[in-house]
Amino acid sequence: MLALELAVADGPATPVANEVASRSLRQIVWARLRRDKLAMICLLTLIFLYLLAIFAPLICDLLGVDPYSFDKESISDSGGGPVGPWGGISTEHPLGVEWGTGRDIFAQLLYGLRISLLIATTATILTVCFGTVLGIVSGYARGKTDAVIGRIMDLILAFPFLLIILALSGVLTQRLTQLGVPDGNPSRILYLIIVLSIFGWPYLARIVRGQVLSVREREFVESSVAMGASRFRILFKEILPNLWAPILVYATLTLPTYIGTEAALSFLGVGVLPPDTSFGGMLGNSVSYFSVVPSYLFIPGTVLVVLVVTFNLVGDAVRDALDPRAGRV
Amino acid sequence: MNKTSKGLRLAAVGAVVALALAACGGGSGSSDAGGGAEPTKGGTLYYLTNAEQFDQIDPQRIYTGEDLAFFNGTIYRTLTAYKFSPDAAEATSIVADLATDTGTATNGGKTWEFTIRDGATFQDGSPVTCADVAYGTSRTFATDVITGGPTYAISMLDIPTLEDGSSAYKGPYTGEGQELFDKAVTCSADGKTITFNLSRPVPDFNYAVTLTAFAPVPKASDTGEKYGDAPVSSGPYKIESNKNGKGGKMILVRNDKWDPASDDYRKAYPDIWEVDYGLDVKVIDQRLITSSGNDATALALGLEPEQLGVIYKSATEANPEFAGRAISELDPYVRYLAINVQKVPNLKIRQAIAVALDRDALRKNAGGDFAGDYADGVIKPNMGVDYAPTGMWDSLLGAKIPDAGDPELAKKLIAESGEAAPTITFDYPQSPTADKAAAIVVDSLGKAGITAKPNPIEPGQYYGVVFDPEQAHELINAGWGPDWPNASTIIPELFTPTGGFNLSQYDNAEFNAAVEAAKIEPDRAKQAKMWQDLNTLAMKDVVVVPTRFGREQRIVGKQIGPVYLWPAYGSWPYGEMYAVQQ
Amino acid sequence: MVILLLLLTLVVFILFSLLPADPARLTCGKGCTPAVLEANRHKLGLDLPVIQQYWEFMKGLFVGRIYAADSPDPVVCNAPCLGYSFKRGEEVLVLIKDRLPATIWLALGAFILWLAAGISVGVYAALRRGRWQDKTVMGISLAGYSLPSFFLGLMAIFFIVIRLQLLPYPSYVSPFENPIQFFQTMLLPWIVLAILYAAFYMRLTRNQMLEVLGEDYIRTARAKGLPERIVIRKHALRAGLTPIVTAAGLDLAGLLGGAIITESIFSLPGLGSLAVNSVNDADLPVIVGITLVTATFIIVANLIVDLLYAVIDPRVRLVS
Repeated sequence: MLALELAVADGPATPVANEVASRSLRQIVWARLRRDKLAMICLLTLIFLYLLAIFAPLICDLLGVDPYSFDKESISDSGGGPVGPWGGISTEHPLGVEWGTGRDIFAQLLYGLRISLLIATTATILTVCFGTVLGIVSGYARGKTDAVIGRIMDLILAFPFLLIILALSGVLTQRLTQLGVPDGNPSRILYLIIVLSIFGWPYLARIVRGQVLSVREREFVESSVAMGASRFRILFKEILPNLWAPILVYATLTLPTYIGTEAALSFLGVGVLPPDTSFGGMLGNSVSYFSVVPSYLFIPGTVLVVLVVTFNLVGDAVRDALDPRAGRV
Repeated sequence: MNKTSKGLRLAAVGAVVALALAACGGGSGSSDAGGGAEPTKGGTLYYLTNAEQFDQIDPQRIYTGEDLAFFNGTIYRTLTAYKFSPDAAEATSIVADLATDTGTATNGGKTWEFTIRDGATFQDGSPVTCADVAYGTSRTFATDVITGGPTYAISMLDIPTLEDGSSAYKGPYTGEGQELFDKAVTCSADGKTITFNLSRPVPDFNYAVTLTAFAPVPKASDTGEKYGDAPVSSGPYKIESNKNGKGGKMILVRNDKWDPASDDYRKAYPDIWEVDYGLDVKVIDQRLITSSGNDATALALGLEPEQLGVIYKSATEANPEFAGRAISELDPYVRYLAINVQKVPNLKIRQAIAVALDRDALRKNAGGDFAGDYADGVIKPNMGVDYAPTGMWDSLLGAKIPDAGDPELAKKLIAESGEAAPTITFDYPQSPTADKAAAIVVDSLGKAGITAKPNPIEPGQYYGVVFDPEQAHELINAGWGPDWPNASTIIPELFTPTGGFNLSQYDNAEFNAAVEAAKIEPDRAKQAKMWQDLNTLAMKDVVVVPTRFGREQRIVGKQIGPVYLWPAYGSWPYGEMYAVQQ
Repeated sequence: MVILLLLLTLVVFILFSLLPADPARLTCGKGCTPAVLEANRHKLGLDLPVIQQYWEFMKGLFVGRIYAADSPDPVVCNAPCLGYSFKRGEEVLVLIKDRLPATIWLALGAFILWLAAGISVGVYAALRRGRWQDKTVMGISLAGYSLPSFFLGLMAIFFIVIRLQLLPYPSYVSPFENPIQFFQTMLLPWIVLAILYAAFYMRLTRNQMLEVLGEDYIRTARAKGLPERIVIRKHALRAGLTPIVTAAGLDLAGLLGGAIITESIFSLPGLGSLAVNSVNDADLPVIVGITLVTATFIIVANLIVDLLYAVIDPRVRLVS
């Protein structure tokens, strides 16, 4: 539900804290954030999750599990279900094993987290770059450029993006391979990153454009123009620094959306290739078994929700810190 | 009989059947339902399916076993048909249907004659004549219009082939070469007797005509490609309405022009057959388990793995509350991985792939003993005389190969091959279970140093892709069952260039010659021996890696019978099913 | 807007003419020879250049078209022809019409639920700003929009259907055929979708209300001694409604294009599941058709929302 959540950021009430002139924005925000206990807990959780993802192989080694090896002893020869209750949870397999193969769920989760965070983080960075540049250009140039960019944005926003991503995954992944991206997961992951960014940037661009329209009328911009500063300088040295706040808020709220979207897409089958797994794939697999082994549904589901909730909470906190008027309480 | 999930249109059907099969496997046990109640006329039988439409309804285009059984049992009469029986030997013997007997061969098996029964009519009351059977048969030749069906008519009838390998007869629509067909298939003056002149002796041609591809079609009603939308029935039912898609239904009602006196084969018990399309697989299972209301007389084709523990005590025995309405039987199919020999020409490499593969893990993933037994070739023990152990895993590859594979031996074979360890791609129709199977393939081949890349293909596009030599890769997931109980419908189809399912792209002159010889061998016992040897030969050449002789589990509602897996098609015995009247 | 739609069809067409699975080959069968393949391609109109295919398509929209006109077996597709699916042997428009009811029921039911819940709870939270009720509401809302729809849907099936057995497995029927089963089937998907959307509308409404309640004219209205109920309803809510209407219109339009995930989890025969199946089958005409219909919904909804603005908020003048 990309459109929906992005609309949170797209809403009317994200004016920038314009009063921040003397102290740097970063200092103010940081000071406010530090006072918000919930936000700090979430931030630490996030750091923890990123560390888990980055050091997944190391952690799996320590625990003696890995997501690829098949433990035939842990599944039944009659039906292929896990031996033992709760999906085969044991000291060997802290979160149980996969139906039919006996692969370790905990290790799969950590590796899934890696892929999820990689895709969502990279796509967010790209979205922010596209959205900011095009938003600034559109807002500053006005006239024809603005109209063209506006039309493109309307066009993109009108597309049923999930359907398009599904329909084009085969051909575009192939194209990427032809362009020299390694076959298999690298091109599949890159495809997801690219399409998520393409369908995500217009939301940010609209916000940025609105900001630029108001900032460009302010005296300091006019004085730089009068002083004969280059257009590039005006755009990126004078105007851009005033846009960091909405961009930051937008980024923190987009990241969790992308995590959810990526999971949804791999749920629908556009995900990483076996033997790798992702959250969405694990949840998709759980459908055939969850009346017997509910943990297949709840373990990856819970991790996914925790991930998204903490990101959203941090996003909210950043927004509050940037603009206490519009935030929560 | 025929392909497992074969057919170019076979989107959902194949996916689901394959999935259900993959998850299951089982034992024996067939019995009558409804507490042994006598079959009575009347009532409605429901066929619940996840598919959103039949693969094909056009008689000349149907090629999945279940569909052949269903339509043959309800709307399409054929010259001969398989006996209804749970016993494999009996069910693979034929009886007369549209013909008065099971046919007469003359000219050393190159000429076959069938006499059409009196009283057999189409749904408009007009009699079925020789011309209708001949016309139906001729449609198969229009390969640009009639796609997807079996092509035995083309390969068997005495009609010359052109340089490009296609028949000189182009079907009734263009009429090109019509005189050739009219010479190959002739009718007697009274229109009662049809004669098929074949290009070679085919001792079991009367089995081939059980396929609906040889069913009669009245020329006046043929609408070409769209004939399947409104086909003309010759059986006890006719299509009243058909609406594809989720929530759609096909309704078959009694064909009042069908004369029971002319048809001692079909029992035609129920008044109505209703096919409910596009149901969720879980919904189907749940409804059949509960079996309330209309679902008491419903049937379906597979079970989700999570239900196996609910319904079965073991892979061969149902729990008491499901006794008599749950089956777990060997199906007709062999599962295998085809190796594209054009892309993997080196025998040692092919051997290494077979040796390295962890068939034990694959079987476990498919459901362990519910999924069937390890296969040693493409001919299954329930084929009868044509089966003999090939010794594939005992001696053929030079050593005894454990079910879990032998990566060390595989490495040795690669070293002997004189080539570097290969990188291969594994094509398979995507599903969660198949993804896990792909992971097993990748992992077990990887242990032998072979780099395998999984290539999941959308199930609906699968055969379109793997039959395209430009798109198919080295290792191809497949399954096949015979079209009738003679390995002439397996070995030539799978391993010769003229075969319809030669995913391996195998073309070995010596092998081809042996196949041609076996095809025309009139002595069935000798022929069986020849098929056995060819099966062994193909395994020795590692054209495919057989993984499993499949088993399958199914349940029906509480008031439907008889409940057994009909070995003829590995299907329900549609033509003699009934609703138990309360 | 017309230009946008035209542009849209063109982009969709170009995008999908890149698809790898050759539809001609998919309808070709195993005895496929190059000649047959070529004939198939011709029948499907794939032998023409993309631009001409596009032209044929546009022509089909307005005057209908005939596939394989020069063959003995032409297929007529009457205007407005969105294309013909050879895979399913049906006009795309017919397919879409068949699937639209389920999608509309799903969207409308969820829409009503989420608007009612979202706005009322949002107003409530705004009126109790900063108190525990407000905090609870905001917490729930956060959880609501953090839950991925498929996880929420699967959980609903697990608890309500499998464990508690409060409802049977969802199995769609038309409400005119079997209203009880219809409601039993739709209840969970409605609630699941409504939770996702309501979460957002709660926040939106609350923030809007807070902003408006701080305005002078509200203070004036209160000073005049108007009952609080009237102040809230007549003055505050109406003024704060504009962005809610915008979002609601666009969200509804988006849902009418098919909630792919919700439909596939609850196996509803809507546009979303048709879309997924068509992707699976490489049934190009259907994918193109659905994309166009969906995008048209969104573009039209944009227009309607703009018009509604003027009705709700007289300060907005229509500028075109």
